[in-house]
This record gives sequence, structure tokens and C-alpha cells, in this order.
Amino acid sequence: MSSHPSAVVADGLVKRFGDRRVVDGVDLVVPRGAIYGVLGPNGAGKTTTLRMLLGIIEPDEGERILLGARHPRDAGDRVGYLPEERGLYPAMKAREAIAFMGALRGLDWATGRARAAEMLEAAGLGHAADEKIRKLSKGMAQLVQLLGSVVHRPDLIVLDEPFSGLDPVNQERLEALILAERDRGATILFSTHVMAHAQRLCDRLAVIAGGRRRFEGTVDEARGLLPPQVRYVPHHADTALAGLLPADAARDGDGWRFQLPAEGIEGLLTRLIAAGYGIAGLAIERPGLHEAFVRIVGEAAAAATPAPATERAA
Amino acid sequence: MTPFRRHLRQTLTIARRDFTATVFTPIFLLFLFAPVIMLSFSLIGGLGAANATRGTAAKQRLVLLLPVDDVRAVMAADARQRSLRDDDRAPPRLIPHPVTGDAAQEARAMLEGRGAIGGLSVAAVLHGPLDRPVVTYAAGDRDGARYLAGLARDAALVRRAGAPALAEPVLERIVTAAPSAGGRDASAFGAVFGIFFLTLFLSGQVVGTMAEERNNKVIEVLAAAVPLESVFLGKLLGMFGVAVLFVAFWGTLVSQAGAFLPGDIGAGLRQLSPAVGAGPFALLFAAYFATAYLLLGSIFLGVGAQASTMREIQMLSLPVTIVQVAMFALASAGASDPDGWLAIATQLFPLSSPYAMAGRAAALPALWPHALALLWQLVWVAIFITVGARLFRRGVLQSGSARPAWRRLFARGGTQ
Repeated sequence: MSSHPSAVVADGLVKRFGDRRVVDGVDLVVPRGAIYGVLGPNGAGKTTTLRMLLGIIEPDEGERILLGARHPRDAGDRVGYLPEERGLYPAMKAREAIAFMGALRGLDWATGRARAAEMLEAAGLGHAADEKIRKLSKGMAQLVQLLGSVVHRPDLIVLDEPFSGLDPVNQERLEALILAERDRGATILFSTHVMAHAQRLCDRLAVIAGGRRRFEGTVDEARGLLPPQVRYVPHHADTALAGLLPADAARDGDGWRFQLPAEGIEGLLTRLIAAGYGIAGLAIERPGLHEAFVRIVGEAAAAATPAPATERAA
Repeated sequence: MTPFRRHLRQTLTIARRDFTATVFTPIFLLFLFAPVIMLSFSLIGGLGAANATRGTAAKQRLVLLLPVDDVRAVMAADARQRSLRDDDRAPPRLIPHPVTGDAAQEARAMLEGRGAIGGLSVAAVLHGPLDRPVVTYAAGDRDGARYLAGLARDAALVRRAGAPALAEPVLERIVTAAPSAGGRDASAFGAVFGIFFLTLFLSGQVVGTMAEERNNKVIEVLAAAVPLESVFLGKLLGMFGVAVLFVAFWGTLVSQAGAFLPGDIGAGLRQLSPAVGAGPFALLFAAYFATAYLLLGSIFLGVGAQASTMREIQMLSLPVTIVQVAMFALASAGASDPDGWLAIATQLFPLSSPYAMAGRAAALPALWPHALALLWQLVWVAIFITVGARLFRRGVLQSGSARPAWRRLFARGGTQ
């Protein structure tokens, strides 16, 4: 079972809450050892998908394989999970909380306590090892919970919106921890709607919107969905300049921005120089994951929204 | 690791967390010593009631409205009777009063407070000659009237027999080894009441334990790592451990305190003679306490898991408590006749079975029905836990804002 080539396979997962299909046939394949992002706007069905993958709730349709196991419970001790809604026992000490979470996943208490002390020290929280959770700041408690979800050194780590609520310093710490876990050999599956983290971390990603998977591939493949953008700054500008630029050109500060024309940019630049506008600045930029995400989600929203009635000519 | 061992380990992890989180807190000391507070209030209340009773008795008198010779005879009878009674059960003192007119009218006037004697109230008046005695008493003072009637009869008998010097009876106390029918009945009722009292006192704690996880959002972590059935069973066992600790503490104290009880009470307790024998009965009592706790606790847990606020918990736990009291009443009714239809019904019905079977152990010697009953009760514990976990999974876990099952029952269409 554990020799299955993928860490996670979801095949046509469906979940209905009442009459609403919150997740509508999602397929995912997460390679072993990868950092895999599940992106989507709020209410897209990311959390429900992750909860089905973990066996917290059962899908109405579809199948999932987790670390080769047909039922997530059978792989439970090899999985770590940080839920979107963080939760710890307020009266527990930080070290005990981490050891408890490890014990739930099969780690003995003594080992859990020892590892907890090491991990807290490494995360800069050594001073808080014997503090009760209720005395920690929100960010510190969140880090404690994250450490608790990996203390048993799982093969698969599922993180639901792990960066939300963290300050920039702790966000960096979390990114480092995710990379360290990947280097250890773990597979990381996380959901987010913050593109910067996904762009920096993910080997592959899926975009979910409206309960359906709208994209699956690498970050580069996602960015490749949009043509490169040109940012052009002339020496001087007048009303005639717009007539020389492509139709999609739009003002961007002291310059203009437009998609790289299919035939290339050389001819356009020749015409601009000949007309006396010159080139004060020129950049050809690949669109970021953010732009790709907005486009994918926007197309999904447009597809889900009925087209407005067209005005009939008299 | 086999699935069974994994579930057992997870269950014990949850149980351990709940046990330590409950026991290692200052609040637990308050809980542990709650019976002291309860006993203190009971003692204060009892002393107050006793003082009030004694005060009332001290101010009451039984009046002898009789000729002098009759008064002397009745006073002698009173001396004989009073010596056989405990001080706290002694009737009001006698006071002679000369007859000046119509004795019946005089007695009525005394009872109505007219012509009261030195600020004392009159409970009953004995008048008429001893061969035709009449006792007039105020409503509510029947005991005093009966005592006077007994004295009149005693005095008349002594006078008729002409032998005032009666032999003084000797009270000889022995402790019997053979179980008596009364001892078995008392044991049966004691067992039923004991289990009822302990479970009523202790199992209610379970009701709020899932609310803690819901409020802290820990439930998501638990549900991802552990089957909900293990979460429920673990929480139940954790709180059962707390209950066992409580019972062991107070059981030890009470068993040691038995040595300091007055001889009569100690001997009376020894007369409680369960039919299966003292040793097996103690084991069965512990087993039935365990199953009663687990049965009721599993219901409390399932019900409490549906509630998200203390107000809802209180509203939902009240019906369970009422059902428990009803089970106790039925089991008590059947305790004296363990083979009667009511007793059999209560022995079979899962919620009343532990009480009724404990009563049966006190009344009938056969042991094999207890093995079946314990198995039967544990099956129902498993059923209640499974149903509770499923309701929780469907009602609460599927969506953060999902309505619990009991609320959906009353919803007018539409689902969350």
C-alpha cells in the first residue's frame, strides 16, 4: 500500500450540504515528496476537500487514496494536520500539547515530550515550553499547533490556510519549516488564498473555484496561461501615442502596459522610435501566479454566472 | 499495529488527557470534598430539625385529668414505658391536673389553649375513670394520644391483676449470621439506591466534555486523528476514572468510619446480607456501578455533544436525569420481588438494568444472570456511543454552522 506512487489521490470527490454541491467532482494527484498547493477563493471548497481527504467527513461520491490506503484512517499515524480553525486545550502546557498531538498519532509520550522541547527550542519558543497555551500569543499558539502536527514525523502533512493569522516573521518561519519537512521526505499539501506563498513554495498546485478543480499543474504552467506583459515608458507622450500602441494598452504610472503582441515587439518599437517617442523604459514581464489565479477564478465565476440578455437591435 | 490496538491506544490517550485535565486542577478538590459540604449542610439541617422537634416536645404536655389514684397508676405505667424508649423518641411529659367540673369540656378547653398550663401547650388529655378512659387530642398529636391510651390500658391491667410489681424485661442483643429476608430486601434497596445516587452524582459531569472540544476547536484535530467513537469512549473512560477515584476516596473513608459507628448501627449494617454473598456482591456492585455510569454517561455525552452552549447542555440533560430517576423508581419497586414481571422488565431494559440487577444480586443467589446482564449492558454502551458519535459527525462536523440533529428535528424544511 505504501508503495503507491502518489501521496494523495482524489477521484471525483463530491460533497453536498443540503441541496448545495460544495465540492463537485474534484480530482487531485499529489506526488510523493512534493509541496502541493490547493488554491481557491473563500468558499471554493478547499477545506471541505481536505477534510474529505483526511476522513473527517465522508464524501458523498468519489474515492480517495491517502499514502496508499483506501481509507484515510488506515494511514492516520503517518499524517499530520493543521486545521483552518486552530484549536488547543488552553490549560495544557505547550510541550504537553505537542506531545498529546503526537500521542494521538501513535508517538509515545516520552518521545513526544523530548521532541517537543527540541522543536520549540528550534522555533525560538523554548522559553514557552512550560507555559500554558492560554498564556501564549495567538501566533505562538499557532506555531505550537503546527509543531504538534509534525512532531510524529509524518509522511504527509496537510495544512489548511497555515499562513493566516501569522505575522511576516512567523510566516517566514513557517515557510522554512515546510521546506525542511519536504527535505526530510514528507509530502506537504496545503491550502491558501495568498498567492505569494504558493508561488514561492509549491511544486504543483490546483485551483479550486465553485467546488470544481479549474487548474492543475506547476506554478510555471499556471503563469503560462497568460501572455507576457510589456511595460513601455516613452520619452514624451501625447494623444497620438495611444494610436500606435496595441488596443489593450492601458496607462500604468508614467508608462503603458499591454500584452506582448503575438508577432513580437520589434516592429512596434521601430514604429515608436520613428514617430519620435523613443524608449525611456522597457520591460517584458511574465505574469505572476496572482494574475493567473485571478484569471482562472474569474473565468470560473463567469462560467457559473448566466450571461446577461443581449440587447436586440431595432 | 492492528486497528483494534490503534483504536485502544487512541481511546486511552483521550481518556488520559481528560482524566489529568480534570484531576490535576484546584477545582477537583472542590468536587472531591463536595460531599463534606453536602454532609455539613445536612448535619446543620438535621440538628436544626432535631432542635425544633425537641423544642416542640419540651413545650408540650400530656395532661392527666383523672382522680388522684388513677393519676398515680398512670404515672407508674409511664415510668415503666418511658424507660424502654430512647430519649429522642420519648413522648411529651405527663402533667396531672385536678378535675374541677365536666372533664370532657375541660379537656377541650385545654386543647384549645384556654387555661393553658404555665405557657405549655397541651397535646392530649386523658380523662374519665381508668375503667372507661377517654383521650382527647388535637389534630396532629395522634402519637401523644396513642401513648396516653397505652398508659391507660397498662395501668388498668396492672390494677385488675393486682400485681403492680412486674418483672422488668431484659433486652438481649445478638448478631445473627444467617441472612434474613429483611436483610436481603434492605440490601437490594440499598444496592439500587447506592448505584442510583452515585451515577446521579457523578455521570452528569460527562455532559459538558464535548462542549469543551467544540469551543476550543480541538475537535477538528481529534476528528482528523482519531475515530469519533474512540473520542467518545475515551472521554467517557476518562471521566469514569475520575468517578472511580472519587468513589475509592470516599469508599475508603466510609469503610474506616464504620469502626466508629455506634454498635447498633454497625450491627445493623452487618445484617445487610446479600444473597450472592458479600464478596461477589461487592464485585457485582462495582460492575453495575461501572455499567450504570457508562450507560448514562454515554447518553449524557451524546446529548451534550449536540449542544454548543451551557444553556443548551442544561436543557438537554434535564430529560436524561428525569429518565434516570424513573429508572430508579421502577428498579426500587421491583427490588423486593426480583422474579416479578416488573423486576424482570427493569432487568431487561438497558437503562434500568444495572440498578435492577444489583437488586437481584442482593435477593437471589444465582450468578449466571449477572454475566449475561453485564454483557447486555455493555452492548448498549457501545450502541449509545456509536449513535452519539454518528449524530455528532452528521450534525456538527459536516459544517461549522450545521445545526445539531435535535434542532433539525424541529426545523421547518431546508437543511444546512
